[in-house]
Amino acid sequence: MTLSLTREDTALALEPPDDEPGGRRAALAARLRTLARRPGFLLASLFLLFVLVSAFVPQLFSGYDPYATAPKDRLLPPSLTHPFGTDDIGRDLWSRMLTGSGLTIRATLVALLIAVVVGLVLGVVSGFFMGLTDSVIMRFADVLLAVPGLLLALAIVTALGFGTIPVAVAVGVGIVPGFARTTRAEVLRVRTLPYVEAARTGGASWLRILVRHVLPNSWGPVAVLAVLDTGVAIIAIASLSFLGFGAAPPAAEWGSLIAGGRNFMITAPWVSLLPGLFVAATVLALNHVSKTLQEPAR
Amino acid sequence: MSRPTRRRWLTALLAGATLALAACSGSAAPGGDAADAGPPVRGGTLKVAFFPDNAAFSCVDPFQTYWIEHRSVIRNIADSLTDQDPQSGEIKPWIAQSWEVSPDGRQYTFHLRDGVTFSDGTPLDAAAVKANFDGWADTVKQTGGAAYGASYILGYASSEVLDPATVRVDFAQPNSSFLQATSTTNLALVTPASFQNTPKDRCLGKFTASGQFVLDDYSPGKSLTISRRPGYAWGSALSQNTGEAHLDKVEFTYVAEDSVRTGNLVSKAIDIAWPRNPFTAEDRALISRSDATVQSRSLPGVSYTQFANVSAGRPLSDPAVREALYQALDLPTYAQTVYGDGYPVVEGGYDTTTPYFASVAGKLKYDPAAAKARLDAAGWAVGPDGYRYKNGAELTLTYPLTQFSAGAELLQDQLKQVGINLVLDTVTTAELPAKLANGDYDITQTYFTRADPGALQFILDPDLANSKALATNSMTPDVRAQLKALFARAIQTTDPNQTEQAYADLQNLLIDQGITFPLFERVQYAGVSNEVHGFAFTSESFLKLADVWKTQ
Repeated sequence: MTLSLTREDTALALEPPDDEPGGRRAALAARLRTLARRPGFLLASLFLLFVLVSAFVPQLFSGYDPYATAPKDRLLPPSLTHPFGTDDIGRDLWSRMLTGSGLTIRATLVALLIAVVVGLVLGVVSGFFMGLTDSVIMRFADVLLAVPGLLLALAIVTALGFGTIPVAVAVGVGIVPGFARTTRAEVLRVRTLPYVEAARTGGASWLRILVRHVLPNSWGPVAVLAVLDTGVAIIAIASLSFLGFGAAPPAAEWGSLIAGGRNFMITAPWVSLLPGLFVAATVLALNHVSKTLQEPAR
Repeated sequence: MSRPTRRRWLTALLAGATLALAACSGSAAPGGDAADAGPPVRGGTLKVAFFPDNAAFSCVDPFQTYWIEHRSVIRNIADSLTDQDPQSGEIKPWIAQSWEVSPDGRQYTFHLRDGVTFSDGTPLDAAAVKANFDGWADTVKQTGGAAYGASYILGYASSEVLDPATVRVDFAQPNSSFLQATSTTNLALVTPASFQNTPKDRCLGKFTASGQFVLDDYSPGKSLTISRRPGYAWGSALSQNTGEAHLDKVEFTYVAEDSVRTGNLVSKAIDIAWPRNPFTAEDRALISRSDATVQSRSLPGVSYTQFANVSAGRPLSDPAVREALYQALDLPTYAQTVYGDGYPVVEGGYDTTTPYFASVAGKLKYDPAAAKARLDAAGWAVGPDGYRYKNGAELTLTYPLTQFSAGAELLQDQLKQVGINLVLDTVTTAELPAKLANGDYDITQTYFTRADPGALQFILDPDLANSKALATNSMTPDVRAQLKALFARAIQTTDPNQTEQAYADLQNLLIDQGITFPLFERVQYAGVSNEVHGFAFTSESFLKLADVWKTQ
């Protein structure tokens, strides 16, 4: 007998095939059906889908050039022609909002990518090897956690310079320690489980155990955290952009759009308010989705 | 019970009507409502909110500071030899009762008023004036010429006390703007002992002056408090009240957000909102609808102007591009969009309240077709993205700025219409001077407030300017020689006609050679609560508190 029994073989032997009734796909479909019956979840998902699609192809939803000024139409209240009204130099706010989604969503994705990749690596390494490596990485994470997130992001963005990517990097670095911690906790739990011991007894190399057994089984909570932190990242990116660290004008970002209307809060509240509500709705929808996804898992 | 109530209602109604009328008259008669509101009432604390303090150079020393808000404060805590009539621009007596200027324009003799004392009791006599002039000359040396007042005493040689009430000031070369300079806050007088403090200490308020108010406290970036000087009796005749101030105290605070400052005024948390950038049309409407009025006066001196970088290799070194830039700028739309209906359109390199102002509005006409033709002729062809290219290089102008502004984005879009790509390069306040010093820009903006056209020298003359790089990059050496010759002709003479002609030529040269690109007239607005009476602007459009009193 050879030792060629891989995990796939085991899995195939033990689990029912995907296309059989009661298989993995069916379970997923059943779960989706349950979720689809919840109007809140459905609404939130549809809204997020709209935000995503409109962020990458804004011209589908708006006929106005987001950069064309029209002094005669300055500060028009919301109407059918301008759903979000116009700003103080007559640009259509709805199209600016959607164009701004592109930059903000991209920045959020970059920030999350940095956080997930770096956080996972640090967490897995730290939890798996323990000892000195763990102490060094976790004390470093403690230091990062001790500095208020926005302050840390401000310091990083000042060093890197202004723009969408520096803001994304700053925010990403700021949420790395959270991911590292969560991953480490999971890894610590998983590495003591019987199947890891079995693999080790079976003579598997540590890299193989890490990649094939520990990582796939510990990254569930990290995925939920990623969805939850998307909202946090959006707010942090919008805050930095509000403070003027984001993309150079005339490019619009959610934060700079809100900032642009702050001198007209009393006389033309929609300039700040509507983009603000849009951001709030996006973050709320994200939180709702991630909470709902967590529920059946509990 | 009912009668007093009704009477109170009537009074309120009448007061309301008066205020409405005052609101309608706007800036036409600043301070004119003092008579309507009855005799001035003594007492009270006036609260004024300013634009944020100068983070780079916190200073309230009259001679050193250039910060407009602090010059407003200084006007009320320190006196000058002369005063300037805001209406006519004439120089009027103040601490100097009279003066003579020698025919060659190099000797000024001042006859001082009797009985003037500083707030520490020492007399303001000829010796004190001489000590001030010498102190200023010293300060210029100590600060390496950086002190703002340096420009005001250009060519100063020495001064001599002829008798306790007479002092003669000698100049190495004629300086026709000196008499006006003596009326400014920058040449306001302080005690001779004040000059024993270092320039830095004086900046933080360690000086004693003779004004209607005394400086109680200056906390940079936070607040500034002044209070009435007892026994004051030598106010300028341009004020109705030449004696003690009506107000007990004035508190100045620094409020960063324009909307918060306006909101404070509307909600009556403050009495006067004093913005740096003109109120938006919306804020003006908001203030007028509340229990407050909007007062305004153009700030004399250089208008809000862009200065080009014409050093070799930069796109603006091409005169054709500079010419097209004028034609591409739609100044009336700019003024109306950014600052609302009725906002004055800039008419040249200087604001209209500057003495010797000559309108060159005819040369600043919006003509996009001509701009396009000019650029075509100069070899800048329109590319597929709508911007212009020459030898593969895009026509890109870099404009470094420290904060977003609607105005800059409007400017960007206006230039885009003729194919010029204006890049708004956002940098931190700390980075900006380095950008300018390295010549890493195409246009930048600055201004200078002084009721004399000589103000522009301190932007454009590399020997005097704050930013030598900006001055050097703004024009070619041969144009600079022409400009310097015109300033010399205007200043080194005692013939007012020659001065006027030279300044008129100069204002044309600024546009003909593409040196300055005026964007908007700088108007000093003030939102003034209806409880404040006797509000007035000085000739430099600063806040004058001499006649101000508050309804108790």
